[in-house]
Amino acid sequence: MAYAVSQWKVFRFTPQIIVALVLVALVPMGPTYVQSLATKILIFAIFAMSLDLLMGYAGILSLGHAAFFGVGGYTAGLLAVRLGMDNLWIGLLCGVLLATLVSILFGIITLQVRGIYCILITFALGQLLHSLASKWRDITGGDYGLYGIPLPTLGFVHFEWSAASYYYLVLIAFVICFFLLYRLVKSPFGKTLQGIREGESRMAALGYNTWLFKYVAFVVAGMFAGVAGVLSAYHNGIMVPGDLAVANSGLAMLMTIAGGTGTIYGPVIGAALIIVIQYYASIVTPDRWPLILGLAFVLAIMYSRAGVGVYLYRLWKRML
Amino acid sequence: MNTLVLNTLNAISYAAILFLLASGFSLIFGVMGVLNLSHGALYMVGAYVGWTIAVKAGASFWLGAVAGGACAGLISLVMEAGFFRRLYKQLNEQMLLTFGFVYIIDNVARWIWGSTYKAPFTSPVLLGSMKVLGARYPTMRMVIILVGAVIAVGLWWLQDRTRAGAMIRAGMDDREIAMALGINLPVVATVIFFVGSFIAGFAGVVGAQVMGIYPEMSMAIMLLVLAVIIIGGVGSVQGTVLGALVLGAIDAFGKALFPDYAMFTVYMAMVVVLIIKPSGILGRQG
Repeated sequence: MAYAVSQWKVFRFTPQIIVALVLVALVPMGPTYVQSLATKILIFAIFAMSLDLLMGYAGILSLGHAAFFGVGGYTAGLLAVRLGMDNLWIGLLCGVLLATLVSILFGIITLQVRGIYCILITFALGQLLHSLASKWRDITGGDYGLYGIPLPTLGFVHFEWSAASYYYLVLIAFVICFFLLYRLVKSPFGKTLQGIREGESRMAALGYNTWLFKYVAFVVAGMFAGVAGVLSAYHNGIMVPGDLAVANSGLAMLMTIAGGTGTIYGPVIGAALIIVIQYYASIVTPDRWPLILGLAFVLAIMYSRAGVGVYLYRLWKRML
Repeated sequence: MNTLVLNTLNAISYAAILFLLASGFSLIFGVMGVLNLSHGALYMVGAYVGWTIAVKAGASFWLGAVAGGACAGLISLVMEAGFFRRLYKQLNEQMLLTFGFVYIIDNVARWIWGSTYKAPFTSPVLLGSMKVLGARYPTMRMVIILVGAVIAVGLWWLQDRTRAGAMIRAGMDDREIAMALGINLPVVATVIFFVGSFIAGFAGVVGAQVMGIYPEMSMAIMLLVLAVIIIGGVGSVQGTVLGALVLGAIDAFGKALFPDYAMFTVYMAMVVVLIIKPSGILGRQG
């Protein structure tokens, strides 16, 4: 019996090996649009994972998460376009810093209210930033967007970007974020969050400062969303007010729900699914994309109690 | 003096529309516990249906208003029977569902009616103006105030003076005990959902006299509803009236005093109320 188990041991990592192979080796070999799509998937994967920390682990529903995404992106974009500072490290640092500051502020306002109201407050705050970006034409370029964001320089090395090389950059960022978030949710902090999600009064009775835990989760989630925003700004070369809107938050939420909340890999799979569907929808029927999105949303909530990601995970586990 | 009267009347008529909108939402939330994020979309559908009847077909304006309400109510019934019933007691999921419906309703409306802006329309009877406190004021806006007041009084009377209202309030305060007392809460919930959505659709047509119809309305309207709810509090007609009046005043006087930043005064008010009294000025804590 013992030797039969060890024979199968190498297969335990087969899905991970396949995924790693695809991500590292296969994607760059395809046409340019594949790298662009994969980059977009990874960016939204980071965005959705950060939302999952909030939704799936801390149990806070947020329809304004795109605010932090947008702040990160606009900051990096503004530095590059208005101040000529297109250094990647400065862009990342400032973008994430500003996103974190905004989430520090918004977290205080949002956690003033209990559970179900949170979604209203985050909705309102997200829309506030959206209309700010729209009206503040002098700084943000208004509804035309902040365009002309160049691909960043690395500072110490002169580097010519290609779709594949920028994809590798985002891949590295994604792996780092995934690893950090994974360690975070597996840590005592993550377990405490899950305890709060399941029964806040119980945790409070046990002596935990539940507000503080939720607040830290909120700020950390905002931080990672900012990372995604910065990467997106450089990738698209433009930031528009729509990046801050409820629609963008809703997109991330759909990815998280469809892929599986409460897991870290779920939103990644959800992101891949939705971005691919969006790509084909934009070719076949661009006008009806919101309808498809809405239907996908409804289906995801009605039928996937766990999410596609978790379903695939269980499938793989059963094959072992 | 003239401008003061005009601005005040603008505030009140805008507040009337906001009240109509928010009252349905507040009712549904109070009784079902669901934040119906598609409420704004239902308002928009009502407006489009009313437009089709009143403008395209040239029929009576008020027929259009009722038809708009009926359409919105119908959609709400589909939502409730087809989807909410299957997610019994899962409030978060139900709310997210309504969010998904916003996209669906919004896009289908765009499919049917197109993406162009529809100018404000009204009944030919209501064109023109009348003398109010020494100023000339559009008749249709006075009618809006009247309609808002009538429905406000009606809802308040229903809430505070009828047995049905007592049942609703009982359901809001404690579902389990209310049901244990024999109140058929699921039926009450369905009826309230229909009524609330009907008012939203009706409000859509009434409000279209002032705002017109444009495709991005759903979310923008939702925001206004949220502002009313946050400021005034959920669960009572009085709270919704207060919230609507405060918002109407901020909007009318804000537009007059600092036109570019009127929207931000709304947000500021929301944030202030949230920090001082999160459940709203007249909110009931369930």
